Formats: sequence, C-alpha cells, structure tokens
Amino acid sequence: MIRFLEFAGRPLVFFVEECGRIMLLLLSTISWMFRPPFRIRVIFKQMEFVGVNSVIVVMITGAFTGMVLALQTYHGFRMFGGESLVGSTVALSMTRELGPVFTALMVTGRVGSAMAAELGTMKVTEQIDALNTMSVNPIQYLVMPRIIAAILMLPVLTIISDFVGIVGGYFVGVNLLKINSGIFIAKIIDIVDLEDIFNGLIKAAFFGLILSLIGCYKGISTIGGAEGVGRATTQSVVLSSVLIFISDYFLTAVMF
Amino acid sequence: MSNLSIEAKVGVFVVIGIIILGYMSMRLGKLGFKMDKGYEVKVYFDSASGLEEDVSVEIAGVEVGRVSKVLLEDGKALVILRIDSNVKLRKDVKASIGTRGILGDKYVVLVQGSSAAPLIEPGGRIVSTTTATDLDSLMNVLGEVAKNISTLTRSFANVMGGEKGEASLRSIVDSMQAVAETLNRTVQENNEELVKIIANLSEFSATINEISSKINKGEGSIGKLINEEDTVEKLNGTLASLKEITEKINRGEGSIGKLLNDEETVETLNSTLTSINDYMQKQESFRTYLDYRGEYLFDSNDVKSYLSLRIQPREDKYYLLQVVDDPGGVESVTDITTTTNGVTTTEHIEKKEKNEIKFSAQIAKRYYDLGLRGGIFESTGGFAFDYYLLKDRLTLSMEAFDFDSDSNAHLKFKADFTPFKHLYITSGFDDFISDEGNESFFIGAGINFLDEDITTILSDLPFYK
Amino acid sequence: MIEIIKISKSFNSQKVLDDLDLNIDPGKITVIIGQSGGGKSVLLKHIIGLIRPDSGQIIIDGIDITNLNDKKLNEVRKKFGMLFQDAALFDSMTVGENVAFPLNEHKRLSRKEINKIVDDKLNLVGLENVTHKMPSELSGGMRKRAGLARAIALDPKIVLFDEPTTGLDPIMRESIDKLIVATQERTKATFVVISHDIESTFTIAHKVAMLYQGKIVAVGTPDEIRSSNNSFVRRFIKDLRD
Ligand SMILES: Nc1ncnc2c1ncn2[C@@H]1O[C@H](COP(=O)(O)OP(=O)(O)OP(=O)(O)O)[C@@H](O)[C@H]1O
Ligand SMILES: [Mg+2]
Repeated sequence: MIRFLEFAGRPLVFFVEECGRIMLLLLSTISWMFRPPFRIRVIFKQMEFVGVNSVIVVMITGAFTGMVLALQTYHGFRMFGGESLVGSTVALSMTRELGPVFTALMVTGRVGSAMAAELGTMKVTEQIDALNTMSVNPIQYLVMPRIIAAILMLPVLTIISDFVGIVGGYFVGVNLLKINSGIFIAKIIDIVDLEDIFNGLIKAAFFGLILSLIGCYKGISTIGGAEGVGRATTQSVVLSSVLIFISDYFLTAVMF
Repeated sequence: MSNLSIEAKVGVFVVIGIIILGYMSMRLGKLGFKMDKGYEVKVYFDSASGLEEDVSVEIAGVEVGRVSKVLLEDGKALVILRIDSNVKLRKDVKASIGTRGILGDKYVVLVQGSSAAPLIEPGGRIVSTTTATDLDSLMNVLGEVAKNISTLTRSFANVMGGEKGEASLRSIVDSMQAVAETLNRTVQENNEELVKIIANLSEFSATINEISSKINKGEGSIGKLINEEDTVEKLNGTLASLKEITEKINRGEGSIGKLLNDEETVETLNSTLTSINDYMQKQESFRTYLDYRGEYLFDSNDVKSYLSLRIQPREDKYYLLQVVDDPGGVESVTDITTTTNGVTTTEHIEKKEKNEIKFSAQIAKRYYDLGLRGGIFESTGGFAFDYYLLKDRLTLSMEAFDFDSDSNAHLKFKADFTPFKHLYITSGFDDFISDEGNESFFIGAGINFLDEDITTILSDLPFYK
Repeated sequence: MIEIIKISKSFNSQKVLDDLDLNIDPGKITVIIGQSGGGKSVLLKHIIGLIRPDSGQIIIDGIDITNLNDKKLNEVRKKFGMLFQDAALFDSMTVGENVAFPLNEHKRLSRKEINKIVDDKLNLVGLENVTHKMPSELSGGMRKRAGLARAIALDPKIVLFDEPTTGLDPIMRESIDKLIVATQERTKATFVVISHDIESTFTIAHKVAMLYQGKIVAVGTPDEIRSSNNSFVRRFIKDLRD
C-alpha cells in the first residue's frame, strides 16, 4: 500500500511542484515587468521573432484550414440544402476556435521550442549566470520580453489567420464549389458576432502566455548539457500544446 | 524588407493586424463607425417570448433599428426599440413579432400606417400591436377547440333526442339569436367601457370578497357595525347619497366632476404616475456593497487592508467610501557589521513607519467596459481607470494619486478576478514608480456583500434572531 | 574586503565545500589553486552569489550576501566583474556587443564612447578585428580573452577570473598574466584568480590559497606557499611543475 502511494505519489508531487514553479516564474515575471530598466528594444526584437517571422507559417496554416473546412462542411450541408451556411461555419470556426488554436500550435512549434532551446543553451553554458553577474536579472531580460511579445503578437497572428482562413474558405466555396458569393458573405455577417472575434483574440493572448511561459520555464530550468536542452525543447512543445487544448476548453466554457 | 528596422517590421505587422480587425469589425457591423445612435420608442407586447436584445427591427424587410431592451412591466413585455434617426415612425404604426427561418429566430416587424398620422416623438410609444400567432400557440388553441367541439356535440346529442327536444331546440335557438343580436349591438357600442368595467369589477369583487369575509366574521369596526340592525339602515341611506354624488360627477357637475372629466387633468395625472414609476425603478437598482480586501506586499512583507462601502444608485455609477490600513512600509534599513577578532556580527536595523489609517472617497462612472474613478485616494487626490472583462468577472485597474508630494506620483496597477460570488482574488503592483523603494508586487483576496446579503446572512445566524 | 565564513555546500550528498574560511584582501590579487573538480569554480560562484551556501556567510564590503533578495544582490553585484571558465559569451551577440553589454546596461554613454571602450578592452586582451564576429566563430582561447575583456569592461572593484590562461599558448599566457597585473595596479581592484598554472600563480599572486577537500588548507604569500610544510601543497606544486 505504502509502496503504491509512493509510486503514485511521486509523479503527483512532481506535478504539483512543477505547477508551483511555473506559477512562481509567472509571478516574478509580472513583478519584474514594472521595474526599470525598460528594455523596449529587447521586447521589439522578440516581437519580430514571435510575430513577424511566424506570419508566413500562420498564413499557410490558416488558409488551408479555411479551405478544408469549406470543402468538408459543403458536403455535409449539401445533404439538406444548407450550402449557404458554409461561409458562416468557416468564419465561426476560424474566429472562435481554429484560428487561435492552430496559430498557437504553430507558434508553439516554431517559437516556444526555440525559446526553450535558446534559454536552455544559455543555462547550460552559464550565460544566464553571466547575466546575473552583470546585475541583469535573467527573468527581466530574457523571460519577460518573450512573454510580453507572445501575449501581444499571438492575437495579431490570429486575426491574420482568421482572415486568411475565411478568404481561403471563400475561394473554395465561391470559386470551386460555386456557392453564391453574396449569400456566402451575408451569412457570415449575419451569424458571426464581433464578440466571436474578440473572444478568439483573448484566447490567443492567453495561449501566447502559455507557450512563452512554458518555453521559458523549460529553458531556464534545463540541466544536463546538450541532451538536457533537447529534452527541455521536446517537453516544452508537448506541455504547451496540451495546456493550450485544456485551457481552450475552459476558456470556451467561460466565454461562449 | 531585410534592411527595415525591427521596430518598423513589427509596426507594419501590427498595423496590418489592426486593419484586418477593423475591416472585419466594420463588416460585421456591430461596432462599425455608426455615430448615428437613433432614438428610442417603447412598445408593449403580451409576450416577447424568444425575442433577444439586439435583434433587428424591420419595416418591409429593411432593417431600421435594433431591439435595445426587453423588460417586464405590469405583466407585459416592454420592448424598447432603437430606431435609426432617418426613419420616422407614424403614430399608427403597427408592431408585431416575426419569426424567421427554420430555427425560428424572432425579430420585430413594423408596418407603417398612413402618412397623415403625426410622428412618434423619441421616447414615445407604439400603441398598436398584433401578437403574431406562432406555430406553438396555434397548435395549442386548435387542440383545445377540437376538444370543446367534441364535448359540445356529445351533450347536444343527449338533449336533442325526440320531437320535444327539437321544438325546444328551435325556441332556444330563436331566443339565443335575439339575445346574441342585442348583446352584439351593446358590445359594439360599448366595447371599450365594457372591458374597463369587467376589469374593475373583477378587481373590485376581489377586494369586496376579502372585506366581506372579514366583515362576516365580525372582525374590525365595520364588521361590528354591520352586524347591528340600524347601522344597515344608515348605510343604505349613505349609499343612496353616494350614488347621487357619483352620478353628478359623471355628468360633469360640481368641481370634482369637472376635474375628472377634464382631459388635461387625466393626462397630468398619468404623467405624474409615470414619473413616480420611473423613480421607483431607479430605487430598485439602488444597491449598497460592503467590501473588504487584503493585499500582501511582497517587498515589505506587510498586509495592506481596505474596508469599503460602495453605494451604487445606478448600474453605471457608484460612490466609494474606504478606510485603508496602510502598513507604511519600511522607512530605512541599516546594516551595521562589526568584526572583532574575526567574528563578524551583523545588526539589521529596520525603522518602520507606524501603521497609518487613510481614507478614500471616490465617484465612479462607467461607459461600457471602461470605468473612470476620481476623488480622494488614500487621503490624497487622484483618479483611476477600470477595465471590465469576462462579464465583469475580471477587472483591470490603474490608479494614480498622491501627485503633490515631492516624490513620484503613486501608481498602482491591479487585477481583480471573481471566480465565485462574494469572493475575489487580486494581484498587482503597488507604487511601481516609487523613488522611495516602496514599489511592491502584491497578491491578495477580498470578500464583498450586497446590503441584502448581509441582512440575510445575519438573520440566518442563531444569535441574531 | 571579502570574508568567507564557514561555508559548506553539497550537491546531492557530495560535499564540495566543507566549513571553508577565507579572507580576501582588498586591492590585492589572490590566487586560488587546487585539484580539478575540487570546488574552485563553486567557491568563486559563491562569492558573487550565484550559488547560495548550505550554511555559513559571505560578506562583501560589510554586506552579508547569503540571504539577500535578487534586487539587493544585483546592487552588490555592480561592484563585480567575472570571467567564467568557459567564457559564457552571449552567443546571440557579436563579440563587440558582448563587451559592450555591461556598459549599455549600467553606464549612460554615447555609442561612440562605448565603441571606443570596447576597442580598447579588446586590444588589451590581444584581440583585433573580431568585433563583428559571433562567438561561435572564435577559437576557445579567443573566446576566453573576449570574456576577459567583458569582465573588465566596467573597471569593476572586484574581478573574479576562473582560469584566465588555461588553453592559451605560452606567449599569450604571459601577456594575459601581464595584463592582469597591470590592470590591477592601475585600478587597485580586488582580483580573485583561479589557476592551474603554478608558474603564473607565483608571478601574479599577492596571496595564494590552496583548496583541498573542501577546505582552504594553506594561505600565504607565494614565498610562504613555496616553503610550506603541508605535504599536499608540496606535492601539488611539484606535480604541476613537472
Ligand atoms: N550545479 C552543480 N550540480 C551538481 N554538482 C556540481 C554542480 N557544480 C559543481 N558540481 C560538482 O562540484 C564539484 C566541484 O566542481 P567545480 O566546478 O567547482 O570544480 P573545479 O575545482 O572548478 O574544477 P576545474 O579545475 O576542473 O574547473 C564537482 O565534482 C562537480 O561535479
Ligand atoms: Mg572550474
């Protein structure tokens, strides 16, 4: 019995501790956010990395998501003559769910993993210690700009993805499947609320927080050389993706 | 592209995002740059079932406005419509609730009357409504009708057996016809009065019922009186003269009669009643909250407490009175290290300012999701912004006060999250541009009660009874 | 003045420092010698607060840094410069940006002034035409010298060197030794140097401390150390000579 408790308990204790450490990192990031010096340039650099450099990947994902959605829902709706709803279905799915979630997953793969790898390398090669010796707080200098950049950039990427997805859906629906373009757009305007878009963007900002926080956390807690860096990278992607899906459920439950 | 500065790249990127967002918002039309707010008109429906706020109001299938509110008033649904200001409604416009699509979405249909009728003023009322029969109620009625018919035919069959039955039937039908004719005529002539009379009667009879039951039991002075013989006689006389008076009044004789039969008086009375009504409604949204919050300051290991009273006369406005227990923070820290014979002792001296009690008194106003506050913050002047999110469950606030002291102004950022009713957690950064080292990150929690809640809770406690 | 009082440190039940006492004189060069894996780097990291001891105190100019919070520790660290054993250059920045980093962070200087200081410091350590190279494009020895330039960029009051000359050719080794002595004489700063090189230890040190099994087993001037009776010290000096 005791052996069983130990067996079951250790991962549980580890999990609770891990949650605690991530929360502490978040808290201290927030507390460092308001202390000078404010390194705007460093934040901009991260914004470029997280936002500008991800835009192509996000656009491609968004466009094809919208196109596939249009194709799939078209066949479903045609069964009872509801082809006119394809547009609004695509738009609603993109703005509420697929835009934010797919963007977050792509950015996790591209940026979250890079954060873990970069900070992990800095950790094992003592660069983070070096920052400390120069009286520069690594959380303020490394973690905070990344988190701010991700929180700000994810909504921007998401709105682009939403838009491109709807345009992709329009292309498939109107040009290939010959749905009337006026009805296609009118139904979107009719059914999609501004709130759907905004809630999607709030979600995206939240996902940005998750993926950057996890990436940074896994990075700065890396131990064990190059192998450790690899492990941290993988774990950060897996953990972020899982958390994005879980939190998506709860955010949806709260918002809609 | 590559020789663009980082700032420029990020800037272009963000601007593109904002343009797309703006474009989509405008197309979805609900935010739009619609400066035209239109005007409001009221309409009463017997039932506004399925009618949501913000659905469209249409004339001839063209959207001319939106439903801005659906309320309950005197057992009827009061629906407030916001009509575009370039659309003029006539007094004889008819309103009904329409149903759209297979999912049965409801919207409001207006049918314009003659162009001769006067216009409805903003804030006015659409009088004429037709309750569109929806599928459900139609089916219900039909079912009932069918049932009635079947009972009717059965009893008919019973009564109508034989010749005698037939004869009596004929006479019944004849007299019925006569009665119906007279009835019809009377009703047509006095339609409106009849309705009023019936309503009055039913109300009156209810009251009478109540009173008479008391009287019967001999309760109250009237009860006692009536149970004596000669009082009855007196009463009879009184009633007779009363009857005389009312008749006079009705004919417009005497001052009261003149008054009551005067159109103007009635209107004045009506508007007075309306304004009283409005006032009462305002009273209903009047609320008082009691709130306590504690904030744990990380940098000084102290707890700062706030006890506040929030008086909220209207949804979008409140007054805040607050007592703040400020630990004051650490005034100065000195470390004295002495080394004697290799043994080092360090003395850590912290001079603390005494706890200080401060007061706040603020007035707050809210515009959509943004709140503004101003007044006294912790015994100094200041102002604040509040931003409400997630259906008011999350509030982000930025406060700025204490401008006149020599040091930097006191800025405070906080986020309050209310996961459960009454309880909330808070976190933020206090005095973060302090040049006296008072800046501190904090987390805390709070509890708040509506005035009524307090009463309920207290009365549930055994010792309060 | 750096006082290290009875510090102990273990990693996973491996005792690295054991009740270690050491006073480091201000304005002098103190060289710490000891076996590889003996805990010299760990000791150095304790001095700048990167590692907190399990017990004991470290007092820098009268301030006990063992229990300071990050904010106050950062204030204390402004007195320090440190060269890491593997240089720890930021590999997302060029060599020039690495050396300029502490200047940008803590000094309000124009770009021109900063560039001038960067060039000066890189010249001092014998690096030329590397300002715009990335650390990954340098050899190990060059990286170490760039790290040295970064450590002394702010002319700090206390500089910690973790094996500044390991991995350098004899000529470069000598010139770095000279640089350390010259810089110390010019700035009158406190230098703490970890070294494996017994020759240069005896040329640059004002004081030598010998770390063995988690303790300082011998402290003294180079002459005192040379004539020490401690068997381990004797063996160590002899081994390194051969
Ligand atoms: N972060 C750490 N976690 C676990 N063990 C550590 C850690 N840092 C150092 N050690 C252990 O402490 C011991 C001393 O390490 P240290 O780096 O101080 O040696 P050193 O004296 O600098 O050796 P060298 O001359 O080879 O650089 C080593 O056995 C090492 O394994
Ligand atoms: Mg070492």
